[in-house]
Amino acid sequence: MDTSGLNSPELQRFLNQEKEKAMVNEMVAKLTNVCWDKCITGTPGSKFSSSESACLSNCAQRYLDMSVIIMKRFQSMH
Amino acid sequence: MDSFSSPTGSSSPFSTDDFMDKFKTQLAQAYAQEFLETVTGKCFEKCITKPGSSMSGSESSCVSRCVDRYIEATGIIGRALLNSSR
Repeated sequence: MDTSGLNSPELQRFLNQEKEKAMVNEMVAKLTNVCWDKCITGTPGSKFSSSESACLSNCAQRYLDMSVIIMKRFQSMH
Repeated sequence: MDSFSSPTGSSSPFSTDDFMDKFKTQLAQAYAQEFLETVTGKCFEKCITKPGSSMSGSESSCVSRCVDRYIEATGIIGRALLNSSR
């Protein structure tokens, strides 16, 4: 197989984009997993209650806030 | 199993477009599979509390609703993340 195409800038760009997209996807998947457990406590209904959907949205944002706090704390420990 | 090399091992030039297509397809399939496994686990937890000798009607409808809700939850979380990264 002629692999000279493997070094192309186009391919590098593609792989970088796919890597970023994959990281975002993983984050969404992980957060949905965690926030589902925190927010959907009863049997799933035919739609979310407003408190359930608010909880899910809040959960994601608080998780992000927390990541920043943790990182800063870590950095201040040098 | 290796879908990135030609079947006969001939020296055909590496096709970037072909590679990118196959890459995206396989990645999408991997994600779909991971998603299915996660949803199955979550909904089993929520809906099948005492496994009987067959699935009851209420268990089946719970599972349907659960899948819909989990997909909806994924959208809510995704949008929350998009909106906060400014």
